[in-house]
Amino acid sequence: MMRQMLAFLSGSAGCIVFALAIIVWLHVFLMAEEHVPIFICLVTVVGLGVAANMLKVTDAVRTSLAEHERLWNLCALAVPLALIWLFREDHYNLFLIGAIMVYAVAVLGLNVQLGYAGVINFSCASFFGIGAYTSTMLMTGAGLPPLAALLLGGVMAALVGCILIFPVLRTSGHYAALVTMAFALLFKVFMDVNDFFGGPQGITVPPMTLFGIDFSHNMLFGDTELSFYLRYDLLCLLLLGLAFCFVRRLERSWIGLSMDAVRSDDTASACFGINISRWKITAFVVGNCLSGLAGALYAMMQAYISPANFTFSDSLLFLSILLLGGIGNMWGVILATVFVVLIPEKFQVIQEFRYLIYSGLVLLMIIFSPKGLLPRQPRSYS
Amino acid sequence: MKPLLCCANLTMRFGGLTALDSLDLDVLEGEILGLVGPNGSGKTTFFNVVTGIYRPDSGNVTFDGEDITGLAAQEIYYRGIARTFQRSRLCLDLSVFDNIMIGNHKALHLGFWHNIFKRREFKAEYELFREQATQLLCALNPELADRILKPVGDLSMIDRRRVEICRALISRPRLLFLDEPSAGMTPDETRQLMDEIVALDTDGQAFSLVLIEHEMEVIRRITSRCVVLNFGRKLCEGAYETVTADSQVQEAYLGRELEE
Ligand SMILES: Nc1ncnc2c1ncn2[C@@H]1O[C@H](COP(=O)(O)OP(=O)(O)OP(=O)(O)O)[C@@H](O)[C@H]1O
Ligand SMILES: [Mg+2]
Repeated sequence: MMRQMLAFLSGSAGCIVFALAIIVWLHVFLMAEEHVPIFICLVTVVGLGVAANMLKVTDAVRTSLAEHERLWNLCALAVPLALIWLFREDHYNLFLIGAIMVYAVAVLGLNVQLGYAGVINFSCASFFGIGAYTSTMLMTGAGLPPLAALLLGGVMAALVGCILIFPVLRTSGHYAALVTMAFALLFKVFMDVNDFFGGPQGITVPPMTLFGIDFSHNMLFGDTELSFYLRYDLLCLLLLGLAFCFVRRLERSWIGLSMDAVRSDDTASACFGINISRWKITAFVVGNCLSGLAGALYAMMQAYISPANFTFSDSLLFLSILLLGGIGNMWGVILATVFVVLIPEKFQVIQEFRYLIYSGLVLLMIIFSPKGLLPRQPRSYS
Repeated sequence: MKPLLCCANLTMRFGGLTALDSLDLDVLEGEILGLVGPNGSGKTTFFNVVTGIYRPDSGNVTFDGEDITGLAAQEIYYRGIARTFQRSRLCLDLSVFDNIMIGNHKALHLGFWHNIFKRREFKAEYELFREQATQLLCALNPELADRILKPVGDLSMIDRRRVEICRALISRPRLLFLDEPSAGMTPDETRQLMDEIVALDTDGQAFSLVLIEHEMEVIRRITSRCVVLNFGRKLCEGAYETVTADSQVQEAYLGRELEE
């Protein structure tokens, strides 16, 4: 009986069952407003996760993932699309879904840095912020079209990363970590004291407009009025999809391999001709570019940014998402982002304690499953 | 035969300790040279200096007629010297194939455009290297070829050594350094691995090999010449019989073994 079920799940059916389960669970969870049902939802998912692990369902899912990758990709696209459609009139939940996708892009960037090349970065949120502020200033100050401003936000984050990487490369271990921490603190202070960037009160961000469509207006679809966040969510999904494909191709290439070699053993890498700085710089720049793009889109979606959005604690939040999800596993990153974004939103009471809870979770994870929720699998080059 | 590698007057100090002391050492084209000596006599340091991990305090290293003293490790690899490490330095969570490809770095196309957007060409390249890696693995242990996509951390000690040797061989080096390939293995496994290494050499692929090894029996069986180090200095060199007959060597090295 059990064996038949596992065989069933490790085929293409496993993928569809899994995707449906996620849609249903996320829908229920996002709809829940009282603490008791929210809590029940969380307990259910943790219980299901533990049971799945004990009954070897996770192994079946892994087999299915390896064998039916294309179908999984399609389902991964269907889940957010279904949720976006289900919440089409609901501003708040659509914003949350968009935020999850944007955060996931930034953590994918961090994953390239820390997960592949092993470059520590405690200032991910600052690069997110650089993207946000750059695109805002380019739109309000220089009058650039939003799409160009968004792309230049990513470019700017990459460029600033090019400068920061030099002190990072010259130091190693804890000292390199300190350099990035210092940068995170510096960025926040710089934004706070500079009135040009709106100072501590922040600055309003013009909305995205694409092909003449202003993203800040609701739209009519038959009789229903669709939330304006729906367009943003579709754009976020596009960005996440592109970032995901890009990072996956990067991982499954000689570039990803060289980065992995640099992370695991720099002496051995040097003895086989691998240029260590080259790959660390590449990873740092690529990762920051992704964070910058994500930040720029987040700013437009939120319509308002202030230095308080890009603090050192936010950088720690990005790092904890990566650690929880499983360093190097992109599906794990997305899964962990869902939980880390949603839980404090759903339990407003824990807002104040959320860093305490995350650090607790990260500690538990390091003790019981050091490779994260979904450990990284050996590389395939398909 | 002309020497492929010429080391003259090499000295390497670590603080007050002289690990290599005015060492002159030649490796001839196509030979298997055994490098022996008691613990701490500077054998590994010699490898590290030649492969560019350390820069010697004085002396010269000439490879194939060119001065390579103090070049970066990367540069030395591109000139055609590959090695294994005394304490295995594989990436345990990467697959067997990935580890071997790290050694193939000079053949990989590393351009962004090629890797990310030209996936069809990339895959053709991948298939080619996959075939090469499989052939190399088959020469050592055909069973390993079936586990080519498994993480190296799941393999036994001897298989890890084999992967390390394949990683060094895939770049078709002209000079191969093996640092105690039999460390941590049973005598049977050692014999098996050494047979495989000797078989490799007769494969038509001409390369010189320097082998650090404590088991004198292995040295006798597979090397054509050996050099004995003691306190970073060359004590003696020549055929196995000449070296073992040397009284200084017996005192410094074999004597110690006999006492044990
Ligand atoms: N990086 C280093 N820093 C300081 N001392 C070193 C370093 N590397 C080696 N040494 C010292 O140099 C001497 C020679 O070491 P080496 O590793 O070359 O010996 P070996 O002949 O390979 O010995 P074994 O048979 O034990 O491997 C030793 O005394 C060692 O402690
Ligand atoms: Mg040694």
